[in-house]
Amino acid sequence: MSDWTRRNLLRGMMRGSAVVVGLPLLDLFLDGNGEAMAATGAPIPTRFGTWFWGCGVNAARWFPSKLGRDYDLKDELKPIAPFRDKVSVFSNFNCTLDGKPNLVHWSGIMATLAGCAPMKGGVGGGSTDLPTLDCLISDAIGKGTRFQSLEAACTGDPSVSYSMRAGSTVNPSEVDPVNLYRRLFGAGFQDPNKADFTPDPKIMLRQSVLSSVKEERDDLLRAIGSADRQRVDQYFTSVRQVEQQLGAMLEKPAPADACQVLAEPGKVALGPTWESAVNTHDLLARLLVMALACNQTRVFNLALSTAGSNLRRTGEAVALHELTHEEAVDEKLGYQPKATFFIERSMETFATMLKLMDEVKEGDGTLLDHSLVLGTSESNFAKIHSVDSLPILVAGSAGGAWKQGQHISGNGEPCSRIGLTIQQVLGMPVTAWGDGALRATRPISEVIA
Amino acid sequence: MVPGRGEAAPAASEQGLRPVGFRRLNEAQYIRSIEQIFGAEITVPGRFDPTRREDGLMAIGAGRVTVSSSGIEQYELRAREISAQVLSDSHRAAMAACAAKDSITFDQTCAAGFFSRYGRMLYRRPLTDKELAATVGLAQAATAASGSFARGLETGLSRLLLSPHFIFRVETDEIDPARGGGRRLDSYSLATRLSFLLWDAPPDAALLDAAAAGDLHNTAKLGRQVDRLMADARFEQGVRAFFSDMLGYEQFQGLSKDQAIFPKFSSQMAKDAQEQSLRTIVDHLVTRKGDYRDLFTTKRTFMNRNLGALYKVPVDPGAMEGWSPYVFGPKDPRAGFLTLAAFLMLDPTHEGRSSPTIRGKSVREFLLCQPVPQPPPNVDFAAAEDVHNPLRRTARQRLEIHGENPACAGCHALTDPIGLSMENYDAFGEFRTHENQALIDASGTFDDKPYNGLLELSKLLRDSPEVPRCLVRRTFEYGMGRPTGPADAAWLDAATASFGQDGFRLAALLRRVATSPAFAGVTDIPAPASRVAAK
Repeated sequence: MSDWTRRNLLRGMMRGSAVVVGLPLLDLFLDGNGEAMAATGAPIPTRFGTWFWGCGVNAARWFPSKLGRDYDLKDELKPIAPFRDKVSVFSNFNCTLDGKPNLVHWSGIMATLAGCAPMKGGVGGGSTDLPTLDCLISDAIGKGTRFQSLEAACTGDPSVSYSMRAGSTVNPSEVDPVNLYRRLFGAGFQDPNKADFTPDPKIMLRQSVLSSVKEERDDLLRAIGSADRQRVDQYFTSVRQVEQQLGAMLEKPAPADACQVLAEPGKVALGPTWESAVNTHDLLARLLVMALACNQTRVFNLALSTAGSNLRRTGEAVALHELTHEEAVDEKLGYQPKATFFIERSMETFATMLKLMDEVKEGDGTLLDHSLVLGTSESNFAKIHSVDSLPILVAGSAGGAWKQGQHISGNGEPCSRIGLTIQQVLGMPVTAWGDGALRATRPISEVIA
Repeated sequence: MVPGRGEAAPAASEQGLRPVGFRRLNEAQYIRSIEQIFGAEITVPGRFDPTRREDGLMAIGAGRVTVSSSGIEQYELRAREISAQVLSDSHRAAMAACAAKDSITFDQTCAAGFFSRYGRMLYRRPLTDKELAATVGLAQAATAASGSFARGLETGLSRLLLSPHFIFRVETDEIDPARGGGRRLDSYSLATRLSFLLWDAPPDAALLDAAAAGDLHNTAKLGRQVDRLMADARFEQGVRAFFSDMLGYEQFQGLSKDQAIFPKFSSQMAKDAQEQSLRTIVDHLVTRKGDYRDLFTTKRTFMNRNLGALYKVPVDPGAMEGWSPYVFGPKDPRAGFLTLAAFLMLDPTHEGRSSPTIRGKSVREFLLCQPVPQPPPNVDFAAAEDVHNPLRRTARQRLEIHGENPACAGCHALTDPIGLSMENYDAFGEFRTHENQALIDASGTFDDKPYNGLLELSKLLRDSPEVPRCLVRRTFEYGMGRPTGPADAAWLDAATASFGQDGFRLAALLRRVATSPAFAGVTDIPAPASRVAAK
């Protein structure tokens, strides 16, 4: 919002009348050809999410053999059976390193999510030269909502997040369902289906504070060392984002048929035991799904665990990451049984997310139909840190813009092609994405409707 | 208000070689700032963005992060709630006497005085005219909108609290008149470096006054300020913060062990273990002015009831705050801070057992400043595994896998032998002789010297020249907020030698760092020939 407008706002308040300023509705990204409407007549927006699990898969038990539609489901992908027609599976899309180091449990995820092989980091953390996909997408479709994006993680550690602007700063995750609930539905929540709406003049004051802080930008950029400018700039970008969030709260929200305000969840134990993590996941997932349905955000990132996964079964001494490296392959089964437990359960948990999204009816379809959810891990086979043929799933159809339910092979091409395709399907004017050997210029035409 | 400030900043031409930093306050520093400026009764709500350890220190990571939008959301909430408390009816008279009685009219003089005073403390330098005018103007508009002068001041204070000049330590430099063309930190940036090095807190009024008077660029007067800071009670807090960073204590946050395996573990136990080690460090280095190396062998520590159960020792029931000094007996398998539970349990990646690899890595990286390379990619561990005999009962037997694989052996030879000699202490820190009914072999070799067990390793570490050298390096990096490079080698060599001559006393080392030209950002990098002034 410009200063000029803000000053007028303040003047309006001084005259004792609260003035509503209509920000343009930023629903540029209607599903399909923009005609989908909810029963209320409001357009249904397209959403994007990422869903991350750590420590990869057993390739032979996870990737389908058959390409195209009606692909076969191997044991580890069986949990997604009810949604097979809505889930695209990608195989043989690689993290192409081209001489860059394979930073274990790090390069693979940034290849898919940021389109570049990082030079610093490892075991689940590090820096990135480019922003992750969700940031680019939320810049394009997330600005008109109360939260540009929401991040959440299931093991109690807020630094578990694979949403990053370039640099070392992660967009931290909400880890406690109670806190996420209060942030979403506590003070400041406007029920989109309530008839009356009064903008809170205090919000305008808060905006004016942020706007005033922004005035320090130019002087600070001049005063600071050149190496630090990007971080200063990012600070003010974040300030502007929060200012926009407040702007969204001054507007009467569009009605949302599927929005139901949930009850506050009770306190739960947080931590990396499997039992806690999956319980936390389900609670966080429910809240994120309702945040989407209530138009509080268009973009989410949910991480089941860190990439060097510390998930562990209660009473077991060893966590998944160690299991992948230390557990012997059972000769009869042909895989590591204890590590594989987590892979199979992770896919069940992903299926829970899909189920929650698919249960929300919107217009002629479901919330899942109006979304794209990118599910991925940082490794193919974590035991050897392999980053060829990363396991990548995309669920939903972006309201018909994405041809869903296929198994597609990349024949060894860079995995960044998937991110490029997602951006194009979401209507972003991007012709190339990524850096170095991971620079993608050709979208995957098979999925473009 | 500050003549010349901002004008001395050169353009980007020198490629980041200027000695300035842009470091985010961590949670403790933020809370401490509010407490120092507004009093301990002000509560600080909200979640802080995660911190990052880079190049061995959180203090370095703090200079590489920024704030996410959800982070700003939290800072904005915090700013409002802190301002509301500061300007509440019960506090306002003490904070702003001229606004003791709330009024509907705006008082320009009162507002300017209020923001000048607290702005100087929050920004750790006086506000510029422009900054002050913007804040006063905002407060005026907010007074009109809300019909309350107190709310107006509250809004202006929120703005100061949301400024990057408060949330970050913004360092700026200036031309050094003593060295034609060279540069140095300006006085206020140096004051802030000093107070965070020695107190882990912002400068107090006296230090800001000294900066205003130009004292900090005078060797004798700088020395007096450093001595004053080190004589203050807050010096202990500074030493705790430094060692918490150097030893990776941020990992205590959320640390847990599987209670099915370690039934005595609780989050309180982890807190107590951390507190025990910090008390031991402060007592040895600050109170007793001891030799840093003896921290590896001292039998002196502190005990409370909770820890008494872990160490299986009796505890003085009438101890102050529950803590009493304790000296381990000659037969106790404890001496030196590596044998304390804090070091032994501090491994958030293993909740169910000890990891010799992580413990060895901690010794190498935290205490010897020797980074251990990342594990190699695309190594087939399967080749080195014996699937027919999976019975590897002790950690040593399990980790032999590393030694048998040449791709792993190199790095694990750095970590595993050190960690394996600590295996007589389980993941929780309790002493044991057996693991899974098999006798533990705690022998090892360090710097080609064979030894047996953690007590003998601790003695070897005590006598290793790398141990004091690493401490010197870390204090320097911690204060500067950047890793040392080849250009710093000469300073490090000299400071390490002096540290030895001073009997390895921490106070002498910190004083040397604090008063060194390097710390004051003195460089010979010439200023660019021409540039545009900032104002």
